[in-house]
Amino acid sequence: MSMAGRWAEAEFEAIFRAHFERMARVARRVLRSDAEAEEVCSEAFLRLYRSGPGALEAGMVGGWLYRTVTRAAIDILRRNRRRGVEEDVDSSAGAAGGSEAEDPMTRVLRAERIAQVRSTLAEMKREKAQMLLLRHSGLSYREVAEAMNLRAASVGTLLARAEAEFGAIYRKRERRGNSEPSAHPFRPLARVGKDGAPP
Amino acid sequence: MNHNEIDTGLLRAYLDGETDAARAAAVSEHLQSCVNCQAEIKSLEANASGIREAFDGLPQTASQLGSAWVALKGRLPQPAGSYRPLWPMRRSWSLAGAGALAAVVALLFTLAPVRAWAQRFLAIFRVEQFTVLELNPDAMKTRGLDNDAFFNQAVSRMISNEVTVTEPPRQPEPVADAGIASKLAGFPVQLLAGERPETLLFRSGISAQMKLDRDRMQSILDEAGRNDIRIPESVDRATIAVHIPAGITALYGNCGDMAQRMQGKGEEKPGEPRNRPDESCISLIELRSPSVTAPRQVDPAEVAQVALQFFGMNASEAASFTQTVDWSTTLVLPVMEGATSYEKIPVNGNDGVLLRPKNGREKSRYSLLWVDRGVVYDLNGTGDDTAARNLAAQLE
Repeated sequence: MSMAGRWAEAEFEAIFRAHFERMARVARRVLRSDAEAEEVCSEAFLRLYRSGPGALEAGMVGGWLYRTVTRAAIDILRRNRRRGVEEDVDSSAGAAGGSEAEDPMTRVLRAERIAQVRSTLAEMKREKAQMLLLRHSGLSYREVAEAMNLRAASVGTLLARAEAEFGAIYRKRERRGNSEPSAHPFRPLARVGKDGAPP
Repeated sequence: MNHNEIDTGLLRAYLDGETDAARAAAVSEHLQSCVNCQAEIKSLEANASGIREAFDGLPQTASQLGSAWVALKGRLPQPAGSYRPLWPMRRSWSLAGAGALAAVVALLFTLAPVRAWAQRFLAIFRVEQFTVLELNPDAMKTRGLDNDAFFNQAVSRMISNEVTVTEPPRQPEPVADAGIASKLAGFPVQLLAGERPETLLFRSGISAQMKLDRDRMQSILDEAGRNDIRIPESVDRATIAVHIPAGITALYGNCGDMAQRMQGKGEEKPGEPRNRPDESCISLIELRSPSVTAPRQVDPAEVAQVALQFFGMNASEAASFTQTVDWSTTLVLPVMEGATSYEKIPVNGNDGVLLRPKNGREKSRYSLLWVDRGVVYDLNGTGDDTAARNLAAQLE
């Protein structure tokens, strides 16, 4: 983006309020703390602000924000993994289904499941990981298409491919014994036929 | 619809209800009779629901929109000339009469614990707990830099040149109730159950950043005769950013002119006695945890070790104390040995620190600090430890 004019604060705040919470929710799924997720989102908004209101066409701001934030979040996830910190137990009490009262064993298993899902995403091509992250965080096909710079009609095909690849890597990791299969909520992933096989 | 017109992408979109009505009807009709497509959609569905379930188990954020906006606003580039130097800001903290907490926050500049992180700039320090560091007044006099006029002047000059305030503080403003205070502060404000505060003030957030010039800092130390303190090379040209989120102050009982002074009104006039708070005065400060960000190469323990030497510790004492603290989450409260007593006490299931002057007419006053779910609390009142703890338990 290039610098183009200056944002009116009210307009910029409206964009922030429209997108921040969902962006932070999406980023938090692969990052290890609320602070890290907030920071990644803030960086995206700061870039948008510095670029000025004319840098993106009307209606493209949301897509750009989700693209930027998921790209950054996945890059951090992959970097952490390369540095060998991917198995870090997520300390969040806010993890879905988690509570401070849960017993230590459940907590450990939950942390393992989180690590397994994140490691699988980190192993995938970034665009595919972004696609899964966006869609399975509740974005519609139209929103996913805007965020990924795609035609909405292509989302189904690419999503099916990404899901097939996720399943294949996940199962491979399980076979390598990286997690306790019986404790996992993730049912064995079915094979995808026709053109759904990983390219 | 012909079988050849149906591909995996269409079936996947059909599963998600993302096709238009006409195509959905056509796919549905085709599925009645096509065994291959039935098998494929079953497989797609199993895969998708497995992944959805796995993703639903990932952590969810408790990020607050209000406070996030306030924090971001403080970081937005300001038009030229809108920055203010740090000293007026520090003065307004003391005007705010925020007591222990303001002092603690000011200390972030020297005791800022920072940790290398994956990204270039990330929030790397948040106050989650406190620990007390007892300082020896004699060592402080002989080895500390607190009383060194040259050093203080040089550092003040450097700070006023290098620090830019990106979100300047505004005068605290009165608010009507906890609901409005929570909305403004971006977290659920807790007040004493059954008590109505005499004054409830909202204080805006403060953000500042400073670019560190190692050589300059080192030469100031060398000129102050302290070339034994070495500034780590990793801090050179690092930009350290401090953000103190918005918060509230609630005053109960007779707090004299404290509320006026916090709002910058009722300046003390010579010869006129100050309207001082009496024993019934309770002040409660709440804010989300202040944070410090720094580039990844900056090692928090190294910075802490230097900061501790400013307070009169020798290098080996500083090194061994540094090892006892998790510098990414712990705020160190320096207290003067013999002047302040302290103890760790549990507060509503969290570790709290109770500080109390040892002598003088203020010795029955206490300051109780704790962190609960990312919010820092500072409760000040008069009475014994049990009174302090009971009061803290009344928060809701």
